Amino acid sequence: MAVKSIGTYDFPSRSRQELYGDDQLVHLWFQENPWFCAAACFRAPKAMTWGDFWTALVVPYAEEDPDFDPASPRVWTLHGEQFSPRDDQTLEELGIGHKDVIGMRVVA
Amino acid sequence: MTIAPKAPRKLTMKQRYEALTRDLDWDPSYVAREDVFPHTEFEGIRIHDWSKWEDPFRLTVDAYTKYQAEKDKRLYAVLDGFAQSQGHLSLTEASYLNAMKLFLQGVTPLEYQAHRNFAYLARHLNGPGPRFAALCQSIDEMRHTQTEIHTLSNYNKYYGGFHNYLEQHDRVWYLSVPKSFFDDALSAGPFEFLIAIGFSFEYLLTNLLFVPFMSGASFNGDLPTMTFGFSAQSDESRHMTLGLEAIKFLLEQDEANVPIVQAWIDKWFWRGYRVTGLVAQMLDYMLPRKVMSWKEAFELYFEEQMMKGLFEDLAFYGITPPRHVEDAIGEKEILSHQVYWVLYQFSHAAAFTTSVPDEEHQQWLAETYPDTFERYYKPLWDKERKNIEAGGRHFVRGLPQLCQVCQIPMAFTEPGDPTTICQRESVHKGETFQTCSNGCQWIFEREPEKYVQAWLPVHQIYQGNCGGPTLPDVLQWYGLEDGDGGEYKGSLDDRNWTQWHDAADHSHIGSEA
Amino acid sequence: MSTTAATRPVGVDIQESETNRSVVEAIEATNDGCTVQHMPGLVRITAPGRLVITRESVEERLGREWETHEFQLAIVSYFGHIKEWDDDEIVIAWDH
Repeated sequence: MAVKSIGTYDFPSRSRQELYGDDQLVHLWFQENPWFCAAACFRAPKAMTWGDFWTALVVPYAEEDPDFDPASPRVWTLHGEQFSPRDDQTLEELGIGHKDVIGMRVVA
Repeated sequence: MTIAPKAPRKLTMKQRYEALTRDLDWDPSYVAREDVFPHTEFEGIRIHDWSKWEDPFRLTVDAYTKYQAEKDKRLYAVLDGFAQSQGHLSLTEASYLNAMKLFLQGVTPLEYQAHRNFAYLARHLNGPGPRFAALCQSIDEMRHTQTEIHTLSNYNKYYGGFHNYLEQHDRVWYLSVPKSFFDDALSAGPFEFLIAIGFSFEYLLTNLLFVPFMSGASFNGDLPTMTFGFSAQSDESRHMTLGLEAIKFLLEQDEANVPIVQAWIDKWFWRGYRVTGLVAQMLDYMLPRKVMSWKEAFELYFEEQMMKGLFEDLAFYGITPPRHVEDAIGEKEILSHQVYWVLYQFSHAAAFTTSVPDEEHQQWLAETYPDTFERYYKPLWDKERKNIEAGGRHFVRGLPQLCQVCQIPMAFTEPGDPTTICQRESVHKGETFQTCSNGCQWIFEREPEKYVQAWLPVHQIYQGNCGGPTLPDVLQWYGLEDGDGGEYKGSLDDRNWTQWHDAADHSHIGSEA
Repeated sequence: MSTTAATRPVGVDIQESETNRSVVEAIEATNDGCTVQHMPGLVRITAPGRLVITRESVEERLGREWETHEFQLAIVSYFGHIKEWDDDEIVIAWDH
């Protein structure tokens, strides 16, 4: 259904990727861990490697949880499917797009 | 009561109302009617006879001003007495004022926006009856804005968090929740606004929004807030009537209006309900002396009065209870805990403080929420307590994912499963958008062109539009000062409060702040 | 769940005050089967189907003239529908 309006109603998204240059927003969802009240939102270069994404952005954020162990085995999900990121792959190569949600679950 | 006895009157109330409102209307002779009222057709609502609009209050300008003046006199007498008697020292605790900070920052600016839009309705509705009712409400809303600011300004002399509420309303992340809610209504057509604010906000949800604040004030020694609250609520009964008249009028005018109105009820129930999440946490976590739990308030004011009262009445017109209402009912034992956990983790970037609920408080929560608190939320507070013993309470070190519609951090869980965060995703013109619930997703997908424009605080910070790239930059842009936010224990308010209550000589009070 | 407009509860919340005590007493006397409940700062009166406030019964208890407009100074909230508000009475009831 379109917006009912008195004139032409056509406005750009206020969160579109081009507003971030070579970067994009990436969400990280701490599944099964209620300590993090919501998924995190990061701004990261599309060309950032997974290794850098992990050490520069995720770890400092996640360390707020006293039980966080970077070495724990994890299951990763993207677009509803599991995937296994390698440290040298870039976000773009992994198929992670603007505002995507990456699921992260620690294997018990 | 100082109102003079009335003079013998020739006309009855009904006749006076007819003479002084409706009879002052005229039909334009040299301009087309649709040019005078250009905004009442594009929404698809069909009105055949504007004179069928009933206003049971039958207010005229003289009666309106007389009673409103009396209400104001009573309020300002209380404010003076409170200020002169150092009334702020008789609050239960300084932390109580967090509820009022949230009110001033989140609600008072909405009163002003309501004033503006009802003034617009007072100009743009075709019928003189609804125009006059909208005019009265517009003036009421301005009165609410002013009395709330005056009342709470007394606290601004002594406590943090009150000094920059207007700018903060436009800038701060949690205030984008009520702001965007109201902006959504302001940018709709006049009939949708009537259903959004006049009906859904002022009738369906008003008791959940305002009565808890006022009862909380009454229980926590906040006489001025209680008084402005009741003073405003007395206008509110007129506003409720306007909302109810509006919906009945639209439904009675044309059957084709029914599905349009139903869709607005569906949308605005959920929009308004999401804003009440802030009230839920206020009731269960911010009041030092509890009035009633969110669950009790929801059951009484919503389930009893609205589901079993109002919607039975509206069923006559073919109106059904709002879409997604079952999800809201299903959340009543988890909502406040989830929202407060968000505010607790992010209050370093807020103009109110939070703290771990103490033993007694947690006991109350466990008793009030026997099926959820100890199972899902107490473990978090236990863990945080260990955290504090080990070196300090925590705040989140970054930014959260926000819902594209309600703009609340995506903390809500799947219906029926309090352990899994609800993630909904929609794609519009190739771009991904997330929402926090079935309700918000449905709203997004109904009008994606509208919600793609959302000014989401997290995205704006990342685009560099909020003062700069670092947290201190953003906090400075928010106009936050030392003592406004963070942890309550050991805060400026907490220290002052203790000092003022321990002091033998109170003559210096306030000069520290 | 089906109730009729004749029995489904309606109600009004009134500020607790000196003047309003007479208003509450008048409502109690006028409405059989109503329930009065005291809440913080408020008195809540509910009744099945219909609640009536008459000028006459309020004036009787107040000992002075009282116009029904004055009820606006007392009311905090209500549920139901204001069916009538004229010089002599205020009626809250559901339509359907």
